[in-house]
Amino acid sequence: MTIVRGCNLPEDLYYLLEKHVWAKPIEGGLIRVGMTSVAGKLAGGKLAAITVKAKSIGKEVAQGKSLATVESSKFVGPVPAPATGVLVRANDKLAANPNLAISDPYGEGWIAEVKPSAWDAEKASLITGAAGVAAYQARLEADGVACG
Amino acid sequence: MADDTVLIIMTSGPDTPRRCATPFFFASLAAAMEYEVNMFFTIDGTLLLKKGLAETVYPKAGGKPVSAFIQDALDAGVNFMACTASTELHDLAPEDLIEGVKMVGGATMWLLAEDSKTVLTF
Repeated sequence: MTIVRGCNLPEDLYYLLEKHVWAKPIEGGLIRVGMTSVAGKLAGGKLAAITVKAKSIGKEVAQGKSLATVESSKFVGPVPAPATGVLVRANDKLAANPNLAISDPYGEGWIAEVKPSAWDAEKASLITGAAGVAAYQARLEADGVACG
Repeated sequence: MADDTVLIIMTSGPDTPRRCATPFFFASLAAAMEYEVNMFFTIDGTLLLKKGLAETVYPKAGGKPVSAFIQDALDAGVNFMACTASTELHDLAPEDLIEGVKMVGGATMWLLAEDSKTVLTF
């Protein structure tokens, strides 16, 4: 666990920095996608809903385009796709408890699984490892954002 | 009909503050879902676009003013259009309205409705 400005940012994830989303390669050639602890903080710390459009399952979503939406009393916004790919499934648990995406953003609170179309090319546009977390930290410092 | 275009017709205004947050929230949400979102303001809805007015309208006591919901929708890329006839109803000149609002005739409402998959009216 790597804590930066109070935000948990694991080094083994790939982050789309501007959008506060993460991706992680999993079995079957898929990537699992979710929002970071920073996104949870920016959304106000308590969510009303996370919704994946059922019609989007089986369709390709481009990097940076909306995979899902997040709603809280103070915020509404997209969960952008960290990489281009076909949306395979959404996390059913979030319908009953959207706040899993805040309490366990990298575990039970994942949002969707995607079959990436160009992972090898696109992962270069994501940040990861110690250097990635350092870049994320610099961004949080520039924006004056901290968790906790 | 475009599959990804939706229209929200806003007729509620400062007399009914509790009806003035959700339409903008729904608009921002639709934009977050990658819909192309148009909001057409007519009747009292147009008053909310008068400079400085939405800052004084609170859907919930102690909550955010309507201006914050409007800004969220504009930031999300929602297109705002005001009906010229309704600005005359309220003696508003184009320069009285906030930045980012396009003035259009009533016929535009019909064109937008025809081009939209879904139309909501508030």
